[in-house]
Amino acid sequence: MGDILVVAEHRGGQLAAVSLEMLSKGRELANHCGGQVAAVVIGKDADRYARRLAQHADTVVVVDHHGLEDSPAEPSQRVLSSIVSERKPKLVLMGHTSFAMDLAPALAVELGAALATDCLDVSARDGVFRVTTAPYNGKVRAVYAFAPSDIIIVTGRAGSFPVEQAQGQGDIEVLEYDVEQDGQRKVFEGYVEPEASDVDIAQAKVVVSVGRGIKDSDKLELAEELASALGGVVACSRPIVDYGWLPAGRQVGQSGKTVTPKLYVALGISGAFQHVVGLTGAKMIVAVNKDPHAPIFGVADYGIVGDLFEVVPALTQKVRELKA
Amino acid sequence: MNVVVAIKKVVDTSEAADVVEVDAAGKDISKAGLVSRLNDWDGYALEEGLRWREKLGGTATALTVGPRDWDDVLRTALAMGADAAVRVDEDAASMDCRSVARILATAIGKLPHDLVLFGAQSEDFGSAQLGPMVAQMLGLPHATLVVGLDVNDDRVHVSREIEGGARELYTLTLPALLTIQTGLNRPRYVSFSRIKRAREKEIGVTTLHELGLSSADLVPSVTLERLELTPAGRRAMLISGNPEEAAGALATLLKESGVI
Amino acid sequence: MSLADYRYRDLIHRCFRCGYCKFPTSYLDVNNCPAYARYRLESYSTGGRLWLIRAWLNDEMEWTDHLAEIVFSCATCKNCTEQCPLPFSQDIVNMIVAARCEMVERGLMPAAVQQFLENVQRHGNPYGAPRSKRAEWFQGTDVEQYDGQEYLYYVGCVGSYDTRARETARTLAHVLKRGGVSFGVLGDRESCDGNDVAKLGEEGLFESLAEENIEQFKELGVTKVVTLSPHAYNAMRNDYPSLNGTFEVFHYTQLLNELIKKGTLDLSRGFDARVTYHDPCFLGRWNGEYEAPRAALRAVPGIELVEMERSRADTLCCGGGGGNFYTDFLGGSEDSPARIRIRQARDSGAQVVAVACPNCMTMLEDAAKAERLDESLSIRDVSEIVASALE
Repeated sequence: MGDILVVAEHRGGQLAAVSLEMLSKGRELANHCGGQVAAVVIGKDADRYARRLAQHADTVVVVDHHGLEDSPAEPSQRVLSSIVSERKPKLVLMGHTSFAMDLAPALAVELGAALATDCLDVSARDGVFRVTTAPYNGKVRAVYAFAPSDIIIVTGRAGSFPVEQAQGQGDIEVLEYDVEQDGQRKVFEGYVEPEASDVDIAQAKVVVSVGRGIKDSDKLELAEELASALGGVVACSRPIVDYGWLPAGRQVGQSGKTVTPKLYVALGISGAFQHVVGLTGAKMIVAVNKDPHAPIFGVADYGIVGDLFEVVPALTQKVRELKA
Repeated sequence: MNVVVAIKKVVDTSEAADVVEVDAAGKDISKAGLVSRLNDWDGYALEEGLRWREKLGGTATALTVGPRDWDDVLRTALAMGADAAVRVDEDAASMDCRSVARILATAIGKLPHDLVLFGAQSEDFGSAQLGPMVAQMLGLPHATLVVGLDVNDDRVHVSREIEGGARELYTLTLPALLTIQTGLNRPRYVSFSRIKRAREKEIGVTTLHELGLSSADLVPSVTLERLELTPAGRRAMLISGNPEEAAGALATLLKESGVI
Repeated sequence: MSLADYRYRDLIHRCFRCGYCKFPTSYLDVNNCPAYARYRLESYSTGGRLWLIRAWLNDEMEWTDHLAEIVFSCATCKNCTEQCPLPFSQDIVNMIVAARCEMVERGLMPAAVQQFLENVQRHGNPYGAPRSKRAEWFQGTDVEQYDGQEYLYYVGCVGSYDTRARETARTLAHVLKRGGVSFGVLGDRESCDGNDVAKLGEEGLFESLAEENIEQFKELGVTKVVTLSPHAYNAMRNDYPSLNGTFEVFHYTQLLNELIKKGTLDLSRGFDARVTYHDPCFLGRWNGEYEAPRAALRAVPGIELVEMERSRADTLCCGGGGGNFYTDFLGGSEDSPARIRIRQARDSGAQVVAVACPNCMTMLEDAAKAERLDESLSIRDVSEIVASALE
């Protein structure tokens, strides 16, 4: 069926977990349909990730790019377009990250490739590649099929593909690309790291998190009370920060923090992937939502379908009683 | 400075979660009884575009590809303060993103544009593909997920959101294309009287033919086969009963599992 | 805009902040203006607000979020109108509403107000709930769709969507049936009456809602409307006629009182309790109806009707007027008007607070819980008390 190319990402000396997930998926597809799996990693000293990637890949292409420490989309697009044009993989896989959101659509146009983004699944059967996505904020699932002739680029949602154990020893190729930034029309100026927060939600043992369903900043009290009864802290999904009801340091999710509490309580959070991706390390997840189809119930251990304004005060009360 | 903001109309499913159903053709959700409106992200893009136009002069044009009943989101844009509105008269619902991007790129190419803004994604299919695709087609530098921007002569300094609460800073040379993330401003309220006045304003309607596009330019590379409802509570054990009972049962479970 | 274009330019400077709007009788009683009671700052009293508005219109101060919150925190309860000794007293609340109109037109308002208005624009209700759910409250009952019956029963947004108010809406329907009243409802064809939209200063949206309602009422041949909410009653009775919508509009307490007088409701089961009645602003001060609900309560055997220290024209608003039941600028404190009011109810010695407005119901019920008075003091709608007394 052709070869598979997986684009690996890294920042601050860390290989992105989603890159290994996509590599595992690539390996599975290749085992099923034949073809080789290559991983590409771009950036200064990118060779440090090569051996880890080589456990899954037949080949690892290291593009030791001197311009940048990490892997911003610019100028990775030109590196990738030249590698894809040369090697002609059938499928290019990468995580659906801020890097890929900048890069993948532009790369697809440049290469004349077909593209599907934010996919929960990728399959290949009878010569047809299909992907599954979660439109309408996860309320529905959509299955797409690709036309057979194109090169296909797929970005996959973090946490959708398990990382398989692998002990392979693929070949490592180091390529030297010394790419200038694109005529200075887009110049990378650096990173801004997140500000320290008033409360460190990343370290908390219990996190009570609120989403759009809380409706009103005054109702945050309900969450504060439950958090205090449980001995935890209050966090939130993105809209709450957008509204200015809680500081950015309290946000859980892709553009916020990753939390690893023993208990995560999601109140009025629908469970959009951008949020859920931040709680993969939670030991137990409990959700209260009025919508039985809310995707949060797909990741929660326990759920109550109901009005949080009724359930939460009752829960706070019961927790206090049980602790007393 | 001339700003073009690409916008779309979506059905509002935020409060209607439990009434979402897949339509008979199995290709989209059933829109009966749901309210349609401007895509949330696009409201932020419009607000940002209008603020810069108000500050620096020039024109702000709102652009969409859609059927006639999408005129109302263009009127919202006009009521917010856009100088012009253009609709490419084509129902693009069944097109793939690359085809829609092709149409938008062609239309934007015919408009004065120093700054092209898109919402970072749509609320419906949310694939976040159009902005960077259009940038590539037009040969513009681009940045996605923009949470802050500052236009300075022929450059725009942007801050884009990346994982873990960090930001990437770039400087782009105009003309440039940015996709806008929610929260970087507060879209203004559009009073009913402004909307009424915007009804008098003209919307420029153009067609694929007038743009010089044919079906050969719009060959889909990916096709939606089917849509289905996400199974309810696929994983969670749902606790039933009235709020009191459910809360009591949950608290007991938490106690038994040792988390309290 | 400048002061010259302001609708009340000839009046607004005449308020010299005598303070009667906040201290009409005694400097010790701060609980007259609900916003003043909550914040105890001159700027939150009507006089203070009018001075700030004048300064803003004269470009003597910048618009800020805080200014907007002060202007939008007025519950439009009209207590100040009653207390103001000056000849333009009838206009002082309208002066605040007119300033809101200016802010709304320029898109300058607190986020909660914006959300309220956007939800009404899009969904026909401030909650942003789907229109299709507007008919849920009467599913499984024998309530009929309006189809030429004598009365249109207009339920309103709170009665249609709020869980507690839905109970009241159903109970009232039941009582009307028992009283032999011929009525129907609009279900998901119903839309917001616009009263609070108007009080929040969105005149254009109010007119559009009113015109659509009027057109629909006329098409359906409606001549008489009975409303659950005093807010809808106020808009339909006072504001719709100037938009060519003249109907016979009743608040349900008026209709119940008539039914009781005619003897069509048999209340012999009675209701044994000491009851106090809380006047809703849009029934009382805005429309002068203080008697009908009291008469209905007096007619129920077993009720001992006691008055709170503040009642009738002197009543204290629950704080939910003028959109505040949703925007909630007056909540979150023991000085919140609803909590002051519930303590006043407790002090009257009553066991039950009778309300005649779904907004008051939810505001006072929450306040009773916050004050931990919910076990000793129950909040019941007049229709619910009547229903309990039906044989």
